[in-house]
Amino acid sequence: MGDTTRRRRRVAPYVSLGVGLVMVGLFAVFLLVEPSRDSAETALLDRAAPAVTGEYADGTQFELARRRGSWVVLNFFTSTCIPCRNEHPELVAFVEGQRALGIDGVEFYTIVQNDDPGAVEAFFDEFGGDWPVVYDIDFSFQNGFGVAQVPETWIIDANGIVRGRIISEVSAEFLATSIQTLRERL
Amino acid sequence: MTRASINTSLKGWAGWAALLFVIVGLLAVGGTRDRGPLDPSDRVDEISRHVACPVCDGESVFESRNPASEAIRAQIRSAVAEGAATDDEILAAVADAYGARVLLVPRSSGFDSLIWVLPATAAVMGIAALSVTFRRWRREAASGLRATPDDYAAVDRARREREANSDG
Amino acid sequence: MSAALGNAGLLVALIGASVGALSTAMSIIGDNRRALRQAPMYAAVILFGALLAVVAMEWALFARDYSIDFVQRVGSSSTPGLYNLAAMWSALEGSILLWVMVLALFTAAVALRFRRRSDDALVGWALVVMYGVMTFFALVSFGPASPFAPGPTVPVGFDGPGPNPLLQNHVLVLFHPPILYLGYVGFTVPFAFAIAALITGRVGEGWLLETRRWALFAWGFLTVGILLGGWWSYEVLGWSGVWAWDPVENASLLPWLTSTAYIHSVLVQQRRGMLRVWNLSLLVATFALTILGTFLTRSGVVNSVHAFAAGEVDGYLLGFFAIVVLVSLGLIGWRGDMLRAPGRIDSPVSREGAFLANNVIFTLFAFIVLLGTVFPLLVEVFQDRQTVVGAPYFDRLSMPIGIVLLFLMAVAPVLPWRTTSTETLRVRLFWPAWLGAAALGIAVVAGADGFAPLVAFTCGGFAAGSALRQLALATRRQGVAGLVGRANGGMLVHLGVIIIAVALASSNSYTHSATLTARIGETVSWSGHTFEFVGVTSTIDARAEVVSAEVVLDGGKSYAPAVTTYLRQGMTVPTPSVRTGVTHDVYLTIDGNDPPTKDASEVVLRVFLKPLILWLWIGGAVMAIGTVLSAVPSRRHRRATAPTSEDLGVERG
Repeated sequence: MGDTTRRRRRVAPYVSLGVGLVMVGLFAVFLLVEPSRDSAETALLDRAAPAVTGEYADGTQFELARRRGSWVVLNFFTSTCIPCRNEHPELVAFVEGQRALGIDGVEFYTIVQNDDPGAVEAFFDEFGGDWPVVYDIDFSFQNGFGVAQVPETWIIDANGIVRGRIISEVSAEFLATSIQTLRERL
Repeated sequence: MTRASINTSLKGWAGWAALLFVIVGLLAVGGTRDRGPLDPSDRVDEISRHVACPVCDGESVFESRNPASEAIRAQIRSAVAEGAATDDEILAAVADAYGARVLLVPRSSGFDSLIWVLPATAAVMGIAALSVTFRRWRREAASGLRATPDDYAAVDRARREREANSDG
Repeated sequence: MSAALGNAGLLVALIGASVGALSTAMSIIGDNRRALRQAPMYAAVILFGALLAVVAMEWALFARDYSIDFVQRVGSSSTPGLYNLAAMWSALEGSILLWVMVLALFTAAVALRFRRRSDDALVGWALVVMYGVMTFFALVSFGPASPFAPGPTVPVGFDGPGPNPLLQNHVLVLFHPPILYLGYVGFTVPFAFAIAALITGRVGEGWLLETRRWALFAWGFLTVGILLGGWWSYEVLGWSGVWAWDPVENASLLPWLTSTAYIHSVLVQQRRGMLRVWNLSLLVATFALTILGTFLTRSGVVNSVHAFAAGEVDGYLLGFFAIVVLVSLGLIGWRGDMLRAPGRIDSPVSREGAFLANNVIFTLFAFIVLLGTVFPLLVEVFQDRQTVVGAPYFDRLSMPIGIVLLFLMAVAPVLPWRTTSTETLRVRLFWPAWLGAAALGIAVVAGADGFAPLVAFTCGGFAAGSALRQLALATRRQGVAGLVGRANGGMLVHLGVIIIAVALASSNSYTHSATLTARIGETVSWSGHTFEFVGVTSTIDARAEVVSAEVVLDGGKSYAPAVTTYLRQGMTVPTPSVRTGVTHDVYLTIDGNDPPTKDASEVVLRVFLKPLILWLWIGGAVMAIGTVLSAVPSRRHRRATAPTSEDLGVERG
């Protein structure tokens, strides 16, 4: 066994090269990675909306499952969130537009997360809007739809199937045309 | 028998067998009475440690005091109170609504399985490398190989250098 | 005024470092010994510049000099006293400045220590590396992360928000970051000598003996810094934990793991002249990981509660990391084979065999922590979706690793060098193993359950037995002086680690919690404790509103967990109140986000019973004492032995 020669075998350059290649890969990952962003993808899309319940301000119950038969739009909201305030005029416009459609219009609900009814009423008094407001008292909307941050807007069709989710602010026009396209597609 | 010889015989195989017996016995007693979480609150804590707060940076629902985490904790709490679902089912329900990205333990399928496979591979490779090296060393020792003059020179140099340094 | 002084200081440090690096390198290459003897002088210039910058920064913070952008962000007239001092390291720019300061101190210490030998090429190159690293940090601090950049004009009477509220309500904030930095930055010194050894191709252990103590020093500070971080988390964050496997925490653990591997395997090199390249690589890895950790956590590529806002700095850090890694790898590839030692290890069951196993496990541990930390980035790049890897993953993998390490700690100290017989092991390990059984017995009697923690307690007792055996032998031979020196100081460190491991295993496995609701005046009992709800008090000042609930625990002392709302930041921070005990802590926090109002009739408390937490800090203190003792040279001098092993079995350690 030619041990002395074997012992002086050149190993270090290859090992260094191997480690170096792995490190270059790591650098590439660091350079390529983009800051994470929120995605509107949801496992609930094209599946039945969760059977969740909430309460109106007067304490009567709201059951989502009973709204089948017409399209439903849910807007998740708190009175302190700035984007909610920004999009509110758009929502008012959207609801007016839908009411003009009569029977074909969607039902629109504001779902209040973790907020004080007084503050919510004051908000609607100030910024307008007279559609029903539902309080998510036991987090069932929040956890059922997986809404971690407001505002979010969800579209549910007449059969109670989730058809769309919009994260952050929404415009009246975008919402109306999205629903129009969805209706035509189905 | 002298004290020393008692000591020696104690440390013989009999003493070790007794030790093994004691340890296995105690482990059997302690290991089998695994009670799991003591009460519902502990179980809620344990499950919520496995869920990431969906809006904060890297905290778990257990640590975070964000309203979103509050909501998820409420869901876990009510599921635990109902008592029907297992921990995994509760986690699956949370992940269903909020997406798999809230799970703090990556799934063991697809790309995510790499996070389990790579450490296992590394461990196996480490052990294999160690045993191969030791086998080679043992072969060399058996072949009666001696240190070369080169090696002695290296040691001498190192020794001189070391002694020179220890003065300073 | 402060801004000008500070900028001048940083510029002095930058020029001193860059000129020092270049001229020292030139003098070594040109073999200009006279010039080389001047090399340590640059360190004095750098130190002066860094001191000037830090004094200017602190002056600006205490004087609330709102012409400086950094002070606008972290300064406030309402920040209590000394926390102004800590405000410097509460944001990115100031923490880089702290890095510059600590690095300047180390550079000066190296220059002072080796001032008479600076014409030695090895010392010269080490100084070049130190100056080079210093140049980088001074450049970052002078340029993209300047703490002295002018801010927008502010109206008269402007007052800043102050540091993040979490960084101004506990005294540990004053100590944790500087101590951690002493650890991080301290590894620059052994790294510099490792690079110098590679450049000069100096075979031999000389450089290593020089830097072993520096590495030990850095390691000790890193250990204490990490533990203080855990303590801060426990006392301040209110979720009752000490370690969350957050990317920032992982970033501090990674160099700790590789340097722990190093301080073990370096003993094999000192004794047997083996593992030279491996040891160099561990030092390089340790240094590179401190830079990588800083990049990961300061650039915002991984999500962490500790992350500072991103800036241009991340590009600089990544570039520097790339340079460090590629240059080091290049040098190792070039010189590695030359440095490789002949010789072999005779038996896996020997001291050096145990050290090898230790290194494999620590490296594996470091790999797992690194993988878990960067895995979300890999998923993002390759699959374009978000994932998180959290505590449960790391817990699951670190548990078996911890148990194996404890077992190794039990067996390794009694193993002789070179080889051993089963009889030696049987005799030497007998009482330590019974101590393991005793630990298991105590745990079982105390009601512990679950297989994994019980195995951990057994191995912990076993390892403690071995450490105690070595210490007993040493003190029997030499009295108290036997505790001094590398081997026995090391055993004390082992004892500290074991105490911490047992405390972690039990607090992770047996924490018990409840949510208690009671009306004022009511007494609730739970899990062997009684809680009398006395009342809610509220205080308010310009800085914050503090609502605290007074609770009398077990009819004795009263505790007041609180919720503090910082008015300027609009941030609500829970402050736990802890009764520390020998067997367990009672950890009280106010539940939920909304603090109870002053006249609330009902309070909801969240209570944790956390076993053995006190022992984490005791173990940390034992580790620190052991580190100090092992850095003191022992009287017993050992001679290096032959590199190969033909005279097998002659030596019985």
